[in-house]
Amino acid sequence: MLKSETKLILEVCDLHANVEDQPILNGVNLQVYAGEIHAIMGRNGSGKSTLSKVIAGHPAYKITGGTIKFEDNNLLDLDPEERARLGVFLGFQYPIEIPGVSNLEFLRVSTNARREYEKKEELDTFEFEDFVQEKLKIVKMDPAFLNRSVNEGFSGGEKKRNEILQMALLEPKLAILDETDSGLDIDALRVVAAGVNKLATPNTATILITHYQRLLNEITPNYVHVMANGKILKTAGKELALQLEKSGYDWIEQISSNKEENQ
Amino acid sequence: MKTECLEWLEQLPSPDGVLASEQLIGRESLRNLGLPKKYSEAWRLTNLKRIEKILKLPLAQSNQYENSIDKNQWPEIPKDGVRIILNNETNYKTNLPNGIRFLSNDDIKETINLSHQSIDETNDWGVSVNKACNNKLLALKVDGLEEQSLEILIPSQKETLNPSRILLVLGKKAKLKLLQVIIGEGKSSNNNLIQIHLDEGSELNHGLICFGKNDSSLFTQACIKQNIDSKYELNAIQHGWSISRFEPRVFQQNGKAKTKLNGLQISSEKQQLATHSLVNFNGPEGELEQLQKSIAADQSHCIFNGAVKVPKEAQKTNASQLSRNLLISKAARIDTKPELEIVADDVKCAHGATISQLQEEELFYLRSRGIDSNQAATLLLKGYCQEIINNLPVAAERWQILNQIIENLNK
Amino acid sequence: MTGQNTVDKLVSKPYKYGFVTDIETEKIDKGINEDVIKLISRKKDEPEFLLEFRLRAYKQWLKMKEPNWADLKYPKINYQDIIYYAAPKKSEKKASLDDVDPKLLETFDKLGIPLSEQKRLSNVAVDAVFDSVSIATTYKEKLAEHGVVFCSISEAVVDYPELIKRYLGSVVPISDNYFAALNSAVFSDGSFVYIPKGINCPMELSSYFRINSGDTGQFERTLIIAEERSSVSYLEGCTAPMFDTNTLHAAVVELIALDDASIKYSTVQNWYAGNEEGVGGIYNFVTKRGHCRGKRSKISWSQVETGSAITWKYPSCILQGEKSVGEFYSVALTNNLQKADTGTKMIHIGAQTRSTIVSKGISAGKSSNSYRGLVQIGPQATGARNYSQCDSMLIGDQASANTYPYIRSQQPQSNVEHEASTCRISEDQLFYLQSRGINFEEAISMMVSGFCQDVFNQLPMEFAAEADKLLALKLEGSVG
Ligand SMILES: Nc1ncnc2c1ncn2[C@@H]1O[C@H](COP(=O)(O)OP(=O)(O)O)[C@@H](O)[C@H]1O
Ligand SMILES: [Mg+2]
Repeated sequence: MLKSETKLILEVCDLHANVEDQPILNGVNLQVYAGEIHAIMGRNGSGKSTLSKVIAGHPAYKITGGTIKFEDNNLLDLDPEERARLGVFLGFQYPIEIPGVSNLEFLRVSTNARREYEKKEELDTFEFEDFVQEKLKIVKMDPAFLNRSVNEGFSGGEKKRNEILQMALLEPKLAILDETDSGLDIDALRVVAAGVNKLATPNTATILITHYQRLLNEITPNYVHVMANGKILKTAGKELALQLEKSGYDWIEQISSNKEENQ
Repeated sequence: MKTECLEWLEQLPSPDGVLASEQLIGRESLRNLGLPKKYSEAWRLTNLKRIEKILKLPLAQSNQYENSIDKNQWPEIPKDGVRIILNNETNYKTNLPNGIRFLSNDDIKETINLSHQSIDETNDWGVSVNKACNNKLLALKVDGLEEQSLEILIPSQKETLNPSRILLVLGKKAKLKLLQVIIGEGKSSNNNLIQIHLDEGSELNHGLICFGKNDSSLFTQACIKQNIDSKYELNAIQHGWSISRFEPRVFQQNGKAKTKLNGLQISSEKQQLATHSLVNFNGPEGELEQLQKSIAADQSHCIFNGAVKVPKEAQKTNASQLSRNLLISKAARIDTKPELEIVADDVKCAHGATISQLQEEELFYLRSRGIDSNQAATLLLKGYCQEIINNLPVAAERWQILNQIIENLNK
Repeated sequence: MTGQNTVDKLVSKPYKYGFVTDIETEKIDKGINEDVIKLISRKKDEPEFLLEFRLRAYKQWLKMKEPNWADLKYPKINYQDIIYYAAPKKSEKKASLDDVDPKLLETFDKLGIPLSEQKRLSNVAVDAVFDSVSIATTYKEKLAEHGVVFCSISEAVVDYPELIKRYLGSVVPISDNYFAALNSAVFSDGSFVYIPKGINCPMELSSYFRINSGDTGQFERTLIIAEERSSVSYLEGCTAPMFDTNTLHAAVVELIALDDASIKYSTVQNWYAGNEEGVGGIYNFVTKRGHCRGKRSKISWSQVETGSAITWKYPSCILQGEKSVGEFYSVALTNNLQKADTGTKMIHIGAQTRSTIVSKGISAGKSSNSYRGLVQIGPQATGARNYSQCDSMLIGDQASANTYPYIRSQQPQSNVEHEASTCRISEDQLFYLQSRGINFEEAISMMVSGFCQDVFNQLPMEFAAEADKLLALKLEGSVG
């Protein structure tokens, strides 16, 4: 792929972040161009979720160095909601339950916030109902879920579908899906993958955080990154995922620690 | 302190009407009680200055009745609905639905005598004040198998202390949806006592909306006696009073009844809102599910005191109580105190309490979808209230309380 | 064998520590007045400032009213009918262990706390208090090598008057409550611990309190000071003979932790509880409080309360230093007619202070067991956090379990979370264990000890097992 011809959407440079004075990210570098799909893999605790939350602007993480550029914006200067309106979307690994807050109202308010930024007209309650119905089909979700509280009492798979539904409504430029495949049965996985494929366009990009090849069978990544200790250790093509599935993470960490010793 | 109470008692009119004997009882116990005292556990946190003010207000008179609130602000009554307005007219000329009737004076006396066992006014200031000065009684009986619904509206009276009392009896297997609305405005005080008797197998869904404004204050006592197989569900909302104290007491006389108590108090400015609940299980296999929520904003103060008593007779009781509190301002204060007293070994009792700010994770989730932080906070506050408000009888919707609450919180 | 049958066969084992040591004791006359206080002070050769402290406390006490707790009904105490000072004769000077009356050494041997050089516990230093005085402290020299002071408070008054002046009454003021005032006026002995800067105390410290005389009140006073970056673990144990009169025990314990210091204070309380009819037993009215003065300091209370006719005790933490930590782990077991009202107060003053409360109450027989707690988040305590868990277990339908957790918050940037539950030993669980060949008695004690595990885990190793055994012993015959 000729990079110079496509647009750089996300550029993470030497990103360092702490939580409660504990360094978690130790210099992450990542470039994502329009039309690309990236997969990030790595052991539990290697910092994948932290990276995604830092990109989305979670207030618990303190940035101690580096930059994040999204198109022409310096993301670190922006509030989480501003990033979302620009088109950054994070599908959470553990979507939170918010009792009492109606799912439908939540979806409508957030969709309109994004549309306002995109200079699209606001959808009133009725228009939104139609809009949502259409998107529900993509994730094969029961409309009954709209009348419940946000994620409350949803099963693991239902929560993940609700995440993809939000992605469909917000039409982001960059979607980061943090272990959206974990805990899904085969059918649900297909639905989610089909949703992601359907929403991917040449002008948008996707980052998949995952542990499993089975998702990458459905969505083919251009690049596979391996994270360890808050850094990206290795980047390669889709074949890397297959190799990881077979041999685990040890060998990569081995190689990289050897490299560090040699330096 | 005692003398102020005595002075107040002296200026009361002489006992009269169907409640004359009650007035004597109330006055006698007030003579002993005096004003509430700081050192008694039940009043320790109460702003007693505001309580003193209440007794300075003249008593509402039946001939000069004037609501503090513009009637036009009340939502319309739905076509097939019935609203009883408890003002100072002694006759409530209302067409009651079939299945609901007024109790005769003899019935009233009998029911009141019965309830003496469950109300201990010698120790109860709010009830004593009500009994001492009140001659306004609405006494209703619900019979039959058909579900009835009813709205009772209690407006405040300008610059007066306005007592009122409701006696509600549900016969065997009777069902009622009751919406009780108490509104206060200006310098006024309401004191409402509602006694409810639920016979075997009866069901009551009791919505209580208490909305005050400005300098208004409120005492509400609800005494509920439940016979076996009855169901009582209460959803009580308090908001906007300078001082308000709500005291629901539930007695499961012979156990084996279901009680659900939901409460929501939202205080702002310098208000002090309190709920002191008591659930007493007097027989086996009783159930209680209690959820009390508070939001304290500005310089306000929310208090919850929830007592649950499970004596030896009450084996196989299943009770849970949860007190969830939101403290959304640096100058606000929340006190919460569950009280569990258990003497039966085969029971399940759990309680919990939390006090916190809005959850950061929840706010972030909403913000990460493009909703700005004010709007996100509003959504969360709404959701927080909605968990209780949604359970009110449908008739409550017309009162649009959620919007008012949010408006006041955003001031 | 049915449950009922088993119960009939199980007879509560007699209180193991109920013997009386026959020793010549010097007692002063019954009653309290200024002369008695002066006499106590003189007997202890105290400096003037301490006598003044006592007299001030006495005056305060006279003005105060005995607390009147709804849950703790007991016959009125006649304070003029108590002896405020009793000491074994010959005990006043104790240059070395050799000078200690062999009868006393024997007593502590019998209690499982050998003091003599050959037999003493290898990694625990013990201060042994008999009635009103400390009779011996082991390992003093070894501790002194590290600069750690561990001695009776009477000695400390003479040897370290500056520390006593500075800290005594600084955490529990003399006017704090009725019993604290009384203690401040007449306290007899107790332990003093001082850990200098940067020192981790090389061994466990422990005090063992023994009431021997039936008509004597015990008013011990403990003061522990942990300087910056120091740490110490301290354990107290208590027993008393069986008398059919009630004996008053009103202790005051003060802990002070400076920057980065940590104090762990464990109690295994097994005072005589009275007989099945509730005759006799100790009235245990104790004020224990720790002050986390320093940044990142930590005070942890763990207690196993099994004895006393009445217990009234709320070991508390004042969390003043930024990021300081308070902990309270408690097992309170009551049987027969015992009454326990115990819990804790966590007063969050400083920013980012944290506290944890785990309380397990077990009530059997006709006893009453209450948890009473206060968690207070002050206006300055941004980022403060508390988690409390209070569980009760009821055994039999005559016992009562009460829970009164008080929470107050004035700081929105804080989190308080309280959970409580009540449970009983279910027949299914019992059956499961029995079907695996475990006998009824053992099954009960396994489950009780499982219920208490979170707390036992906090006790120093040596004592965790003991506490477990103690519970099993106490519970015998109470299950039906
Ligand atoms: N909010 C937080 N508070 C404390 N530790 C955190 C927090 N978020 C992440 N961590 C720690 O950071 C490390 C990386 O976590 P995470 O990004 O969730 O890893 P991954 O998603 O790769 O499994 C882990 O050790 C985790 O415990
Ligand atoms: Mg993760």
